[in-house]
Amino acid sequence: MIALVPGGNAPVTSGQVYVKIDYTPVPNADIDVSGFALGAAGKVRGDGDMCFYGQTRVLDSAIQMTESSAGLAVFVLDLSRLESGIDKVALTATIHENKASFDRVSRLSVSVGDDIVADIPTTGMQETALILGEIYRRAEGWKFRCVAQGFAGGLEPLAEHFGVEVAASAASTPPPPPPPQGKPSVNLSKVTLDKSRSSISLAKSTADFGEIKVNLNWHRGTSGGFFSRNRAIDLDVGCLFELKNGSKGVVQALGNAFGDLAYEPYIQLMGDDRTGSIDGGEWLHINGHKWSEIRRVLVYAFIYEGAPDWKQTDGVITIHMPDQPDIEVRLNEEGGRYGMCAIAMLENDNGAVKITRLVDFHKGHSYMDKAYGWGMRWSAGSK
Amino acid sequence: MAISLSKGGNVSLTKEAPGLSEIIVGLGWDPRVTDGTEFDLDASVFITGEDGKVLNDSSFIFYNNKQSADGSVEHQGDNRSGEGEGDDEQVVVKLTGLAADVKKLVFAVTIHEAEARQQNFGQVSNAFIRVVNKADNKEIARFDLSEDASVETAMIFGEVYRHNDEFKFKAIGQGFAGGLKPLAEAHGVNIG
Repeated sequence: MIALVPGGNAPVTSGQVYVKIDYTPVPNADIDVSGFALGAAGKVRGDGDMCFYGQTRVLDSAIQMTESSAGLAVFVLDLSRLESGIDKVALTATIHENKASFDRVSRLSVSVGDDIVADIPTTGMQETALILGEIYRRAEGWKFRCVAQGFAGGLEPLAEHFGVEVAASAASTPPPPPPPQGKPSVNLSKVTLDKSRSSISLAKSTADFGEIKVNLNWHRGTSGGFFSRNRAIDLDVGCLFELKNGSKGVVQALGNAFGDLAYEPYIQLMGDDRTGSIDGGEWLHINGHKWSEIRRVLVYAFIYEGAPDWKQTDGVITIHMPDQPDIEVRLNEEGGRYGMCAIAMLENDNGAVKITRLVDFHKGHSYMDKAYGWGMRWSAGSK
Repeated sequence: MAISLSKGGNVSLTKEAPGLSEIIVGLGWDPRVTDGTEFDLDASVFITGEDGKVLNDSSFIFYNNKQSADGSVEHQGDNRSGEGEGDDEQVVVKLTGLAADVKKLVFAVTIHEAEARQQNFGQVSNAFIRVVNKADNKEIARFDLSEDASVETAMIFGEVYRHNDEFKFKAIGQGFAGGLKPLAEAHGVNIG
């Protein structure tokens, strides 16, 4: 075992190498770990050279992020498969929105393979973005150097250091885009669920509920730099369902799980609008005639592409039910970096539909599943 | 075409540049691009005799003693950040003016206040030493020591030495624990 201090370096076995970054999480300050594949000038060539929570496989999977949780990030680097244009891979950690400096992170350690470990001394560090270390070509092989230097200004100067285009708006708050279809933010004809009123229970007015239609609409972003928060956004709507008979599952475009209205789960995704610019957005229909079979439905949205900035999506979920006022939930909260938003829960409350506004944010399906005790098994999918 | 040396390599300056009389020994490094205290690297020269010790205390050339008594070795001044292209610090050596008992010039670099600033050579990018013919400004030899430097805070970069009738340059890249003071003492300087 080789213990490195900042400035120290050691040879890395070529081929596949695991890089583990573990740290003490800081309350209320998320730490993001990323990998930057750099060319000769120490710059990335494009967005595809960055491996982070929103893009976990890059360069033909030669760099993969296999774990990203509070306190631990793991990369798998296949050094032999890294193209010759890549001179080094820098591993970085940034504290989201500069909410703390690394002085607050009591333990910060990088291990490379089984042999190299670098404990980074963080005492007194004012930096909010750190280059932890770099794996670089040397002669015919590769070496790892513990760097432990960074920027007090956070992600932006770090990204610029690596040649990543940073939109000017990243630091300042962009003006809010107009809401979709020019709707006023409070529609008197609707029931708006917000923080002060987060739940509503709708009893049957007739024999059943007819068709419950859940609509997601959002503001289409414009394209910009990688870290800009206004890239074209593709929001996907989906739901987790649990039936009275114990059957659980998911309805969403990802994995072609479109569901079915007539048969279980009695929920169907009516097609996918990948831009949000088409009037109407995305629709999820629930067969209200079968509401008695359904225990609960968790409606969520996730960002399939584009950096998450939930506020800027100005997303609106509207739940239409026959003979009922529309119920509206706006995604007008700071969602941080997480690509998934649990929006509303529809529960079968003794036959009534109880709708609860959630609007909380999660790293992914499995995290959200855990948060709501759904208890399903998850694996990555693609569209 | 300058000769790029690796650690331990040497080159005959006299053969590479016939008629060589004055050299500039240049030292360079990249300024710090990350936040934190600048890297302030200081070049020093030990003018030593056969035994590897300085001939006298004025044969230790550094930022507080920029010139040898006979003027043959002259430090051009301190650069405190590594800013600027090319050499950040230079020492001019009149080879023909060196006293006969001068056997070797040892070029060392130390990081100023390395301990307090928690800095070492492994954190400094693109540090090099090079020897330039002052007459035509042509580089004769260069030693990039980024890889040979690691956690050291003082380092012997290279030596210019007499070998029979020639002057040669050798790339050393040898780290030295403890900074400038023990390095100077090891070369026979009396530190008061």
